[in-house]
Amino acid sequence: MEPHYNHEPDPETPTRRKVMVTLIGLINAGLAAAIAIPAVAFLVDPIRRKHAVGDWIAVLDDGALAEGETKYVTFEMLVDDGYMKSVRNASVYVSRKGSRLVAYDPSCPHLGCHVEYKKKRDRYICPCHGGVFDSDGERVSGPPPRGLTKVPTRTEGGRIWVRKA
Amino acid sequence: MGIFHKTPHDDLHRDRPSLGDWLNLRTGWYGFVQKNLDEPMPAGVGWWQTLGNLLLTLLVFQFVSGFMLTLYYVPSPDHAHQSVSYINDKAWMGSIVRGIHHYGSSFLVVVIVLHILRTFFWGTYKKPRELTWVVGVLIFGIMLAFSFTGYLLPWDQKAYWATVVGTRMVETVPIIGPLLLVLVRGGEEVGALTLTRFYAIHIMALPMALMALTAGHLYLVRRLHISGPVTKQKGKPVKFYPTQLFRDAVVLLVAIGWLLLLAYLAKPELGPVANSARVDFTPKPEWYFLGLYELLKLLPPQLESVGTFFIPMGMIVGMLVLPWLDRADSRHPAKRRWIIDMAIVTILGIGILTLKGLLS
Repeated sequence: MEPHYNHEPDPETPTRRKVMVTLIGLINAGLAAAIAIPAVAFLVDPIRRKHAVGDWIAVLDDGALAEGETKYVTFEMLVDDGYMKSVRNASVYVSRKGSRLVAYDPSCPHLGCHVEYKKKRDRYICPCHGGVFDSDGERVSGPPPRGLTKVPTRTEGGRIWVRKA
Repeated sequence: MGIFHKTPHDDLHRDRPSLGDWLNLRTGWYGFVQKNLDEPMPAGVGWWQTLGNLLLTLLVFQFVSGFMLTLYYVPSPDHAHQSVSYINDKAWMGSIVRGIHHYGSSFLVVVIVLHILRTFFWGTYKKPRELTWVVGVLIFGIMLAFSFTGYLLPWDQKAYWATVVGTRMVETVPIIGPLLLVLVRGGEEVGALTLTRFYAIHIMALPMALMALTAGHLYLVRRLHISGPVTKQKGKPVKFYPTQLFRDAVVLLVAIGWLLLLAYLAKPELGPVANSARVDFTPKPEWYFLGLYELLKLLPPQLESVGTFFIPMGMIVGMLVLPWLDRADSRHPAKRRWIIDMAIVTILGIGILTLKGLLS
């Protein structure tokens, strides 16, 4: 027997329509969330990684740094670099003032260019935007918001050690 | 007169229709092509209106050369520089493909700026073309994002340090800056994950956004038609084909010819591999970011985020809302003095700072 569709009541009653429209909305919202949530989590993963504090590294013989002298030393650090371990070239300025030993991170606190130590003027100067720091790492002029970042140092076994973040 | 004389229904029902007819019956493409070739150009439309087509062509060149580069390029710190060096020195015509991509990006910036200036001074962003302008500004933003992300990929000293400084600017965004920095870099430092992020954005996210926006822009341009000179010129509108298309072709010949010559004669630079511990290297951004670079030198520490965030943001927002800022009815520059003056001051400022950067 042929069904008599014409005689049946209209399937699209207002209630039925409402329920379907709501369900379409819900399903679509679910679909959007199904891809958006993992995608965003994946994207922001680096925020969850803890920044490891570096190990102490011997960078210079204690005797190699005279009183009042400032030296730029480079060394290699093995660091976690996303999916790989990288050997990163790192550097510090080490200077001895009397009995005090200090080390500065050469990254300018302005936008991260490496500052240069000018011996004649006894100043650290940033080549990018012209920041100037005195021999104590304090800001003298230019756009940097603060002085150079100090790096922890110690002397042990006749060597100068630093711990760079 | 168009090149397609046939009406949509001529010849379609012959026993052996041509391939074009066969396709037309199914797609109606004759009509589409004809409509675009017949597009009316108001009197006074001329060389200034060839820039859009030039941009489109330069984009096609960027797409093709960019795809070709991905055939050899590896986005990893231990191979990126090597793979670019291989492209530059070993691959057949590699330096030309890279040259087209490298110099093409500068061409694009110049041409898009001219295109924006033309639109601005002609006042064609006014009703009903506000959205065409807004989409155009977004495309401009995408272009700058393209050049910023692409700059890192060769992983040489210039690339690395420009990215260290450029991403550090993100940190000065109020409140969420430090978090954003880690997000952009994929970690605390510029490294392996920065490279993959920039690469993915450069070859996936930005091209898709650009294609969508460009399609929207073209749709709006065709829907609303070209507005013509500020004061109505005498004469009837002329069809796009062949007069305007001829001008387009001449401009393309000169510009693309120049680009190819440059790519052929001047091998694109590849500096020493990125090194995070070299003080004898002064980072400098690509020339079109030099204005910002110089501005940052002038600002005292308290105003740091003004230069790195508020001024650039203000300019982008200002451009986006321009059609609603300039409410004058007339498109004539003399009738909208303040907005023209403001733009001239801004352009001069950027120009002087850029020049200062180039000379320093």
